[in-house]
Amino acid sequence: MELKELMMALPALMSVSGYEKASDKELYELVGEHFDECFTDALNNHFFVKRSGKENAPKILIDTHYDEIGMIVTRISDDGFVSVAPIGGVDTRILQAGEVIIYGKEKVYGVIGSTPPHLAQPGDADKLKSMEELYIDTGIPGDELCEIVRLGSPVGFKPVYTELLNDRICGKSFDDKACAASVLYAVMNTPREELAGDVCVMLSSQEEVGLRGARVGGFGIYPDYALVLDVTFAYTPDTEIRKDVCLESGVCITLSPITDRRLTRMAIDMCREKEIKYTLEAAPKGTGTNANVMGITREGIPTALASMPIKSMHSPSELLSMADAQSLADFTVGFITSTEIAEVFGK
Amino acid sequence: MMYNGKELIKELSLAFGPSGCEDGVRELIKSQIDGVCDEMYCDRAGNLIAVVHGQGIDYDLAVNSPDRRPDRVMICAHMDEVGFMITDVTDAGYLKFGTVGGIDPRVLCGRPVCVGDENSRVSGVIASKAIHLQSREERGKSTPINKMYIDIGAKDGEDARKYADIGSFGTFVSDFVSFGKDGKYMKGKALDDRCGCALMIELMRAIKDKPFDRSFDLYFAFTRCEEIGVSGATVAANSIQPSTAIILESTAVADIAGVDKSRRVAELGEGGAISLADRSTIYDMAIVNFALGVAEKYGIKCQVKKYVSGGNDAGNVQRCGVGVTPLALSMPTRYLHSASNVSCYDDYVAMRELVEAMLRDWRFYK
Amino acid sequence: MLNTIKTLTAVRAISGREKAVSDKLLKLIAPHVDNVRSDAMGSLIAFKKGTGKDGERKSRMLCAHMDEIGFLVTFIDDNGYLRIAPIGGINFVAATYSLVEFANGTKGILVPESGTAPADLRAEKFYIDIGAKDKKEAEKKVKIGDYCAVEGRVERLAGKRIAGRPLDDRIGCAMLIKIAEALKEAPCEDDVYFVFSVQEEVGIRGARTAAYGIDPDSALCFDITGTGDAIGSKPMACSVGGGAAIKIKDASVICDVEITEQLISLAKEKGIKYQCEILLHGGTDTASIQASRAGVRAGAISVPTRYIHSGFEMLDLNDVQAGISLTLAWLGAK
Repeated sequence: MELKELMMALPALMSVSGYEKASDKELYELVGEHFDECFTDALNNHFFVKRSGKENAPKILIDTHYDEIGMIVTRISDDGFVSVAPIGGVDTRILQAGEVIIYGKEKVYGVIGSTPPHLAQPGDADKLKSMEELYIDTGIPGDELCEIVRLGSPVGFKPVYTELLNDRICGKSFDDKACAASVLYAVMNTPREELAGDVCVMLSSQEEVGLRGARVGGFGIYPDYALVLDVTFAYTPDTEIRKDVCLESGVCITLSPITDRRLTRMAIDMCREKEIKYTLEAAPKGTGTNANVMGITREGIPTALASMPIKSMHSPSELLSMADAQSLADFTVGFITSTEIAEVFGK
Repeated sequence: MMYNGKELIKELSLAFGPSGCEDGVRELIKSQIDGVCDEMYCDRAGNLIAVVHGQGIDYDLAVNSPDRRPDRVMICAHMDEVGFMITDVTDAGYLKFGTVGGIDPRVLCGRPVCVGDENSRVSGVIASKAIHLQSREERGKSTPINKMYIDIGAKDGEDARKYADIGSFGTFVSDFVSFGKDGKYMKGKALDDRCGCALMIELMRAIKDKPFDRSFDLYFAFTRCEEIGVSGATVAANSIQPSTAIILESTAVADIAGVDKSRRVAELGEGGAISLADRSTIYDMAIVNFALGVAEKYGIKCQVKKYVSGGNDAGNVQRCGVGVTPLALSMPTRYLHSASNVSCYDDYVAMRELVEAMLRDWRFYK
Repeated sequence: MLNTIKTLTAVRAISGREKAVSDKLLKLIAPHVDNVRSDAMGSLIAFKKGTGKDGERKSRMLCAHMDEIGFLVTFIDDNGYLRIAPIGGINFVAATYSLVEFANGTKGILVPESGTAPADLRAEKFYIDIGAKDKKEAEKKVKIGDYCAVEGRVERLAGKRIAGRPLDDRIGCAMLIKIAEALKEAPCEDDVYFVFSVQEEVGIRGARTAAYGIDPDSALCFDITGTGDAIGSKPMACSVGGGAAIKIKDASVICDVEITEQLISLAKEKGIKYQCEILLHGGTDTASIQASRAGVRAGAISVPTRYIHSGFEMLDLNDVQAGISLTLAWLGAK
């Protein structure tokens, strides 16, 4: 399977935070055959294990989160309009006129209502509607809709996928499924005998609502060392992001007080040696990623953090470059095959 | 070189150790506790753990039956201090930075700093726009950190990168000064929480010099990353699984001009401050009363923290595993998280005496 | 039921100082279970062995918090007034000029400094007047570190509705007692742990260590939840009298989907009145339990309550009974 196929397939699977279990079977079918073991834990973390076949091999955990931001049904009006509350950091600017899918007994397509300019009052355009004022129009009468959808049914953005110039692509929930796709691809295509340890890929749950899945997933697996992969902000003219963290800048390695300095240093050295394109990013206050909780799990898990730069994070049209996805895959391969790292951080 | 008392605090205060880069502090501590503990190791999160065994315990038996494992008491202080991390090096050779831990931007402008890591560092100064050049809106307002930069005297970006790069650490540069009446006040950086580290070192030495009967193992944990909240103490408590933990910390005091008496958290010179509750923890009264009782019995000065504010590692430790009973004993310290912490040496001595007396009297608690 | 609620609300037990209510709960639950213990943080944990075969029994944890919000004395001034720190999310508008009770029976009035504007009502602006002449007399009755809370009381209103405090979450505790009583008559196959957790109001702390120690296969939490049925309240499809509230999510947790589905189908099957709850603000012990160790499947049954954290929290005992019935059905189900 090509990396781009995975990059299209993963975001199409439903995985609103808390509801990641909904797509476990599809996920297993998609990539399961390439792994020795697939399982899902009590918090809906999905695990894919590939063993090295060596005795006393170190246990390496690669974490990318699988959940995505979305919404949840809070009320259904008699005339079939659906009110929702956010799950995770949903940007309310991008909601009006957005296309969504309500995951009830069956999938229900809907459009988030917007006020046409004709009906707007002067000054309305400057104001954002709050989530409470918005509703989803499904075109189904209320009583019929209640048979399919109920309070608590999750709502996701409708999957979109667009190829842009220069092998850049646009789609939803590349945060963090772009990393998940790259990692699965990397591990799938690494011959068992080259692995420096037993690799456990964790597609973790509930990251968007407070790093909840990784906390318990890390506890359950308790690896010798871990690599957390997430997306980061690529430079755009409207931000204060450093210009050299941009699309096609490769994998972005984070230096932070909470990540293991030695492991990070070794990962950087590995990039140099294998000529994997990378940039550096500093996170003085900690990272806002699963790395925050991974390092202090149980008796400590040495953890490194690397990211893929993307644009328009948390919108239905996140934008990335396939070159960066390939860099991240190469980086992952380097990390899981590095005997130097395994020697230092293994048992 | 072995240091004692104020000299020890001074050496620890001068050591370079922002959260995430505590190796230098750890090495210094290691050199100071060599020979006064039964075991010493660095855990997977980088905490330094020193163990002082109890007396009259059959450890062979304990290994084979976990039930016989002696009670464990953890004493901990954090090695890290607030500081900086370089986030960008500009083409002109200036270093952009973020703070490691909470630092008020108002204490930053014009301060001398150093940048690098435990092995090599370069001097610099935190600079910002001269008052003449500030617009009317900017004047009289504190400069946000993203408008400040560290100037190490580099000619350009390439020159700067020889000494510091993205991810380099920094701390304040501040000498250690004894001042005030009888020289009992101390001023320096990172007194929060190197005083706690010094106390643990001297306590281990005291136990070695004058052993006493005890049926518990003592774990001294010098922990990492307290200042950024991703607590190394959590990991220490997870692995040690103590029943009780004494957290040695620094507390803000607000015993200064213009603060109403009812708002004063604690006062310098009144001994260590025991917390009843703060934002991270509500403390168990049994151990608080034990500490207060010991202080009264031996005439050691100590005070109760009068205000519910702040938080420390006690919260993380309390909720590790099946739960740990924490006691927070804090060194009253003025001007926390700045280049000039001020505290009183008498308080340090009182705290040291109190913890030692508690351990000697431990049978009255348990 | 009302008597149990009255017993439990009669004592003051703010977060971190739960001994008084813990003692009462111990007496109430001990006759119905196999053993009771307290953990290091003070949570009370009662165990009832199931009737299933060894190795086939699962363990289920039922949890309600026993602490309440209140105040800690931080300073006594020369005139004998007490300054306080809030413990938990105090609604100062509701607490103004309330009668507060100390553990030793001392009473006082919670008073804002004269001239404080309503918008300015926060802990620093309040003091407690216990009627003492001066500091010396005050110190005979109260010392720094003592705690107090607004008086506990329960009043019957129309129908099966009651109002008082702290129904958050003594109502959950009372539900657990009733469930334990019922299980004594008709035991279930699985092992059941009844947990009365500490320090929920200050950050869902006690349930965390309790769950760690128990390591259950699944868990249900019992707490109150907000409603959308008071005048001017934000829209929320949950109402007093609307039945047991099956929690979908709150700000701290997204409940396990399988448990939620199971509860809904059990309620439909047994004809138990229920509603689904999505609480946008506030957290519950459910979150702490879910995050324990390698993760625990956790859900929650809430009692819809108006005027939360005031002196008169109001709820309907029919909803409480529905919650108990639903839990018993859940415990009986595989």
